[in-house]
Amino acid sequence: MSTRWYPIYQRGNPQLRVFLPNFWMKLVHPPPKQLPNTVHFHCSMEMTKYDIRNYLEKIYNVPVIDVRTKIILGKFRKDLGKGYVVKDDDIKYAYVTLPKDTKFVFPDIFEKSKDADEEHLKSLEEAKKTFKNYIHRNKSRPDVPSWFSI
Amino acid sequence: MHLYKMHRKITNLKKILIRRYSQAALLDQNEYTETPEYPPILDMSLKARKLREREKLHEKIKNVNTVEEKQIALNMPRYYGWKCVMLHEDKVPYNAMPMIQCYTRSHFIPIEKLPPTYTESALTAEIVVKEIKNLVEDAICIEHEGVDHSFAVTLEKPVESQKSDALANVLVKQINRIITNNLADKVPHILSAQVDYDPRHEAFWFVGGVDVPSNVIKWRKQYPWLKDRLDEPVDRPVQYLGAPFLAMRSHFPLKPILEYSEAENPEFKVPKFTYKPDTVGYFHAYRHGTNIPGYWPGDHDEFGLLSYHGRGHILNRNVSFGTEDNLEALHCQAMLASFGWLLAQANYQGFTTYNDLTYPLVTQTIITDGQLWSFYAYQLNTILMHNEKIDENPKHNICFGTKPLKLYEKVENGKVYGFNEDVLKLLVQLYLNTPEEREYDLKPYLGREEQVIADIEDDNKRCWLEKRYKHLVSNRPKHLLLPEIYLWEKIYKIEHKTRFFEPNRRPFELGINPFKRRLNEHLPPYIPKALRPYPKHKKKFETTYYPDV
Repeated sequence: MSTRWYPIYQRGNPQLRVFLPNFWMKLVHPPPKQLPNTVHFHCSMEMTKYDIRNYLEKIYNVPVIDVRTKIILGKFRKDLGKGYVVKDDDIKYAYVTLPKDTKFVFPDIFEKSKDADEEHLKSLEEAKKTFKNYIHRNKSRPDVPSWFSI
Repeated sequence: MHLYKMHRKITNLKKILIRRYSQAALLDQNEYTETPEYPPILDMSLKARKLREREKLHEKIKNVNTVEEKQIALNMPRYYGWKCVMLHEDKVPYNAMPMIQCYTRSHFIPIEKLPPTYTESALTAEIVVKEIKNLVEDAICIEHEGVDHSFAVTLEKPVESQKSDALANVLVKQINRIITNNLADKVPHILSAQVDYDPRHEAFWFVGGVDVPSNVIKWRKQYPWLKDRLDEPVDRPVQYLGAPFLAMRSHFPLKPILEYSEAENPEFKVPKFTYKPDTVGYFHAYRHGTNIPGYWPGDHDEFGLLSYHGRGHILNRNVSFGTEDNLEALHCQAMLASFGWLLAQANYQGFTTYNDLTYPLVTQTIITDGQLWSFYAYQLNTILMHNEKIDENPKHNICFGTKPLKLYEKVENGKVYGFNEDVLKLLVQLYLNTPEEREYDLKPYLGREEQVIADIEDDNKRCWLEKRYKHLVSNRPKHLLLPEIYLWEKIYKIEHKTRFFEPNRRPFELGINPFKRRLNEHLPPYIPKALRPYPKHKKKFETTYYPDV
């Protein structure tokens, strides 16, 4: 990503060629129950509707019917440790409408890691169980260290 | 004085001390019947109780006598107006057809010719077309080239669409004038019909079965008993706003296109649309629900014959939407306009969104820019689509519609080229569709003697209701600012309680939602002491006559 501030193009100026523009778009999981032909993006704050349409059509060959954008206020949260209220950055949302016969399904990126997660959970449950048993066994003799028993 | 008081005390004491009967009262023999009679067993679950409460409300609205009071009754629960889904006639987003069909419960049938009820008038129409063809051609030429039209341009819409609508507006008025002049001595209903120029068509109804907004889910999450009912759909208020160029109405309703029993035909299916209206591109606004078919209650000519609408908004649409979607947008506009107008008419007959129609109503809608004409015939069978009834209601509305047809190819040097007589014939056939008197009671839910507030004899009540009704449906902005939670309050008082030491005074701190305020929760106008009836009158405030619902 370039950090340069590019001047806005005025008619008559020499054409400006940008190697790495400040434009990015991030595909995000839509809130539940959206029309199947809409896709949600976060994008950089400088992008206009035309930029978004061109970005998707020219780079990714996505047929775009309509683009709606919205800037969402960043969340307010308490700073960890300090305790005062701070605000996160605002986010620009882009709602892109595809032709009505297309269907977009958000990809399941973490399909494989689900099994691993379940295994982790299982072992955690077992550890919890053994600890509970240990407490139950030694409830009549508090304050005795664990290495003391047979 | 004292004696009197003593006396009263003693009688009270007597009541406690003295038993006035010598034996237990005789049991009434009629209490016993052959078979035991039990009171109905009611489901006392929260859901069933709330449902009964709502049904009671619907029954109350049904029993209100006059049209205007029913409209006020619909608006009673909200002082600041309902948060309505706004359906503007001339703003149709991409792929809106499924939603509009569901919200108006209309089955759309594309047609080439008009439905069979129109075949009778075909011959007459041909004769009329021959007579008026030259006049219509002249009118088109004059409006295109002979007159230099100037119209006020607003910044809200692109100029191109405004130009198209303005030209269509004058053309439609000319063509209507020519046709009505010709038909006035041929068919009696045209002579007696009323013509509205630029009327105000508005309609308000409730649609159920829509996905729940996230704030409602958040609210439901705080109560354990609502845990398994998080996604239960809620009612959405819907407001239609339309601005036809011209509308004609008559004293009797048009004949139904199909039998009323056909309304329950399962072939006329309307797919359910549960997505939120914002996902399609519709917006919300706070406003009082209004049902206005272009005239006030009590008018002589209460039933619509036909209405003309513009299609300038098609020019504003994105090029990427494509021609197919533009055609669907026209169908959407026609369905909305027809449904909206008929619903408003039905409201003037005493039906509301809670009390269904008992007979079908019909209207004809024309969408035009002068050159392209599309014709629609719409039959309204049901207006019941709130949350409890949207799945149960077997009836559907039916809309017949043609594609846009060209009336002429072009206008050049004061001449019209490629004039299409068939299109003019279709238009004349719509005019020839004769309204008929119905045999049944058209206003079953209105009072016998009081049907509109003008019938009320009590002067105070009549004047108050008239003033309140007109003010309500004007939707004028409030005199005081709307309640608001400031951003600093949201940050420092609601999201992070950093000012806990301050007294709780704001509504959100007292657990009050100001937007849940009822319409009658306000102080009535004060009566100054000098104006109170002589000699002594303690009544400080004027009486209000809100319907009791």
